[in-house]
Amino acid sequence: MHLLDIENHTRRAFLRRASHLALAGVATPMAMNLAALGEAAAFEATDYKALVCVFLYGGNDYANTVVAFDEARHARYAQLRGGATGTSLVVPRSSLGPTELRPTTALPGGAKYALPPEMTDMARLFNSGRMAVQLNVGPLVQPLTRQQYNARVLPQPPKLFSHNDQQSVWQAQGGEGSTQGWGGNLGDLALSANSNAMFTCMSVSGNAVFLSGQNALQFQCSKAGAVAFESLRGNEWGQFLYEPAMREAFSQLIQSPQSHVLGEAYNQITRRSLAAEAQLTGALSGVTLSTPFPADNPLADQLKMVARLIGGRASLGAKRQVFMVSLDGFDVHDTMAVRQPALLKKLSGALGAFDAALQELGMTDRVTAFTASDFGRTLSLNGDGTDHGWGNHHFVMGGGVRGQAFYGAVPPLSIGNTDAPDDQWHVGQGRLLPSTSVDQYAATLARWFGVADTELHAVLPNLRHFGDRAGRPDYPVNLGFMKP
Amino acid sequence: MPNQPHADAAPADKPADTPAKATTEPRHHQHAQHPGSDGLTTAAVVLGAAVVLGNLGGESGAPAALLNPINPRSQPDMLSTHGPGVPSRGAAVSATPPSAPLTPTALFDWAEGQYPGLFDAHATDQSDQGLVYRFYPGTGNYLGVLNGRVLVLGPATGMRVTDVGSLQSLADAVAASHPLQPSDAEAARFLLHAQFSASDADIADVRARGHSGWLDTQLAMPPGQSGWDWLVARGYSAINTHEHFFANGSYRFMIWYQLTQSPDAVRKRWALALSEVFVVSWRGIKDVMSWDSFGMAAYWDLLCEHGLGNYRNLLEALTLNPAMGAFLSTRGNAKEDPATGRQPDENYAREVMQLFSIGLHKLNLDGTPQLGPNGQPIESYSAADVSHLARVFTGYNTDDSSGFFFSPKAPHPRVANLPSARGRMAFDPRQHSPLEKRFLGVVIAPGTSGPESLRVALDTLANHPNVAPFLSRQFIQRLVTSNPSPAYVQRVAQVFNNNGRGVRGDLKAVLRATLLDEEALSAASLTSTTFGKLREPMLRVAQWARTFNMRSLQGTWKMALDDWSPTTDINQYPLDPPSVFSYYRPGYVPPGTRMAMEGATAPELQIINESTVAAWANLAQGFVLNGFWVLAPETSNPPPYATPTDGFDLVPDYRAEKALVGNTVALVNRLNLLLCAGQLSAPTVALIVNGLSVDRIRADSPEAFKQGHVARAVLFVMCAAEYLVQR
Repeated sequence: MHLLDIENHTRRAFLRRASHLALAGVATPMAMNLAALGEAAAFEATDYKALVCVFLYGGNDYANTVVAFDEARHARYAQLRGGATGTSLVVPRSSLGPTELRPTTALPGGAKYALPPEMTDMARLFNSGRMAVQLNVGPLVQPLTRQQYNARVLPQPPKLFSHNDQQSVWQAQGGEGSTQGWGGNLGDLALSANSNAMFTCMSVSGNAVFLSGQNALQFQCSKAGAVAFESLRGNEWGQFLYEPAMREAFSQLIQSPQSHVLGEAYNQITRRSLAAEAQLTGALSGVTLSTPFPADNPLADQLKMVARLIGGRASLGAKRQVFMVSLDGFDVHDTMAVRQPALLKKLSGALGAFDAALQELGMTDRVTAFTASDFGRTLSLNGDGTDHGWGNHHFVMGGGVRGQAFYGAVPPLSIGNTDAPDDQWHVGQGRLLPSTSVDQYAATLARWFGVADTELHAVLPNLRHFGDRAGRPDYPVNLGFMKP
Repeated sequence: MPNQPHADAAPADKPADTPAKATTEPRHHQHAQHPGSDGLTTAAVVLGAAVVLGNLGGESGAPAALLNPINPRSQPDMLSTHGPGVPSRGAAVSATPPSAPLTPTALFDWAEGQYPGLFDAHATDQSDQGLVYRFYPGTGNYLGVLNGRVLVLGPATGMRVTDVGSLQSLADAVAASHPLQPSDAEAARFLLHAQFSASDADIADVRARGHSGWLDTQLAMPPGQSGWDWLVARGYSAINTHEHFFANGSYRFMIWYQLTQSPDAVRKRWALALSEVFVVSWRGIKDVMSWDSFGMAAYWDLLCEHGLGNYRNLLEALTLNPAMGAFLSTRGNAKEDPATGRQPDENYAREVMQLFSIGLHKLNLDGTPQLGPNGQPIESYSAADVSHLARVFTGYNTDDSSGFFFSPKAPHPRVANLPSARGRMAFDPRQHSPLEKRFLGVVIAPGTSGPESLRVALDTLANHPNVAPFLSRQFIQRLVTSNPSPAYVQRVAQVFNNNGRGVRGDLKAVLRATLLDEEALSAASLTSTTFGKLREPMLRVAQWARTFNMRSLQGTWKMALDDWSPTTDINQYPLDPPSVFSYYRPGYVPPGTRMAMEGATAPELQIINESTVAAWANLAQGFVLNGFWVLAPETSNPPPYATPTDGFDLVPDYRAEKALVGNTVALVNRLNLLLCAGQLSAPTVALIVNGLSVDRIRADSPEAFKQGHVARAVLFVMCAAEYLVQR
């Protein structure tokens, strides 16, 4: 746990915070006292902003997502990815033209990238200025060279290459068992900006530590909206619990305070579910989108719900929200040539539709979506797939993004283990050694969201090892991909 | 015997007990503690003063030595004072009036539960000239009663007849640990840990045999029909245009049938727990493996078979299982190719270490992490270990030696015959890495064969000191409690490391130790506000089906629960978790709860959220009244659309409950016993009775209305927090 900087807190904000907690039922009694003080540094938001984390579970392969397109580097990539062999995982250069990413400022050294042919929507978004690519980003405790990585003298992220732990490290800077993520920490700051704090951190995916803060708790909304307790619907013919007194007893039963920690945790969630359902359903009923979302695409289903929730922000009393959606299946150790393109097509189609829906809602500038994933993968093949890596390329989308641009350094295409400069940005088999940390990535998003510079370090504890203050201007706290 | 302690040294380790402590400890709080592998040490204390009679052991007939104890030195208080069952409480026992007379049979049953290392399985009583005794061929020990004295003979006593006290002196210790005659609630509680459900007959059986005796009877049951055979018997192996060999969901029918109908319920319950640790998920193989449902059945059958065998064999069977091969891509894994830079697939090598054997951190025997000089946990393997171990798992592929057929359905793809889905994958030495394999301190020389490399690798993993604590803690979490004490983990881990006969990885012994541990059985854990676990959704459904004798009217047993609608989703599909990381993580700490403050784990809460709590109540409301709706129940083939014959085919039998209609208190009490082991508190029972009391029901109400009344009662109970938390 890390407490927010309480230096700036005000009594007024504390009191308002406390009343929100009491009303919304989000308070965790244990965290109430100290964390509520930290909450004092909350936003004074009048406008609306939302961050949407699009988590690609399993670890997306970077080299076949942001594909080397200039001739020299594509040739190098093709060689490393099996060339013309029967197990080739090469996206042919000839197929990449229509999805070339054309930045306003060319990359150094003639480097060019393209998305695979399935990702037409995202290529369009990039080239129209509403999407940027952050190259080689991943968990770091502090800047690290390959030599330092091998020597194991400096702190490194725990349990590299392990799915569950790197998911947690991306979301919460700590391995499995972490209880606070940076999305939740942003939510802590945003709670008081929202009239119903419960709707601050919303997952349309499953439970994820990303959205849990000191006080902010994830609220899970299904892709079909809030799920009502059928048994408590009143005045309906054929109702199973047909007498009001039955329903009253049932309602009391499922919400009753429990002395047992597990029972209380369960009933607390039930209480939140019941308290939110009517408001949520009402807010959503007022929002209809004409934007089509692709079918048979779970990510699109989730993002459509996020768009509808954003559309219902006034009814929900929300000014600052953090959302989480996800797509899984990216752990392509085998049959990658079939599986990954299908997933990337879903990703691209879902984000394309989400962008269109935000335009329909007039909220493009107010919402920023970004991708995250367990890790990148190896550049070398294991046959018909790739193995767990570290650094990865990620996408940031929205009207607030300084799009049509690449951020970060172009990593060499290498699997060599020599002292040559080209071999210094991977840790074996082309597993990228991140040249940008998740904390920098998150900090850049957080600033746009409204977090003051003084508060960033409380949200992202490793950030102190990066940027000018840490004597590392080559690892800036603001990566620059968001408009001021 | 391995790990045989020095009997003469042991008493010195144990200072005289402290009667003062006993006086401060109320009688009803006394609970024996399970000896674990300390059993031998503590038993040696128990058996401290022995008389040499010579080696008169024999496997048949009463051992003459037991009948003629020479110069027995009785130690009537020894067991109760220093015994493993009641450390530090001997004085209280001896100061308490004796319990009801103890029979030799009851003593033997108790001793088997308490000292599985000495009396390793449920044996039958024999008698000879007034001596009543049991012989344990596994350990070579005798346990007998003669003239009111309790005698032990065997390797445990250095082949000396040892008088461990009077029968009566042990009565309190026995009564204080596990009641020989468990109450109905205690019996039900044990049943719900050990299997899916508790029926009236089960409860009576546990009460008659005692926990240990009942469990041994169950463990001795022959395996029921295999999942594979069930699928064949239902016609799912037929080659026809239904294409059962492609992404076929019939495994769902198979697993639900196994969970709700198999007679060997303890085995199946255990196998289900193992399926959450040693994961193969259908969704991960359905598109890459032919005969996927049979692949899942073979995997399930493997868990049922090796789950009560040895861990080392289980590990090997899992490693080479075709479904596992498809799931974690050992299938088709080929050696490195320097020309292209291709490397062996690391998938299985990584997950077999992280999830199936040793885990990420070096552990103490009690499951707590060992800390390095920097105060951080010590990682148990490195990236290099993974890369090298990956070489071991090269050279395997589908065994298609049984040939192929062409699907009768256009475009008539070629498919491997059914046998390819079970047994072991084929090994091709040409695709096996000839490089050196260096991992976890072991070096396999270049050029070592695949089978030999595999043997060394699996031996290395299976013998790693992490395995016992790493797996034991998860087993306890699956069956008993989310946050076992380190002592509980250690007791089970000790049995994992040594079942008392020098065997490592005896999973049957591990299961016994998990279920019979004092922490699982004691009344103290019932009053704790942290002990227990959240009942898994799939266990709730299986429990309901068994408790109320669910049957398939058409006999097709098409139970699937694959609705997938967020409003009624079970959110937990057996054999189909989201990934190899299962439905939830053993290290999950629920944010925003008291558990978060304490770092306490609660895996099942990872799938509980605002949507799933409502979905559960809706799902339950959907099945409690009439059971499960089935499409075209008259045929084994599931149509993808509605048909005129669709209906409730999987239906409950509430006869026993309907007989109680009119007496709501009795009805709720019955449900409380069967579903909750009596763990609904009086206020909760009152609340439910209150809610049901407005039902306009009478003893002469129509059957359908009675059915509704019972179903409403079941819904109330199955949505109560005190039901959802199993203690």
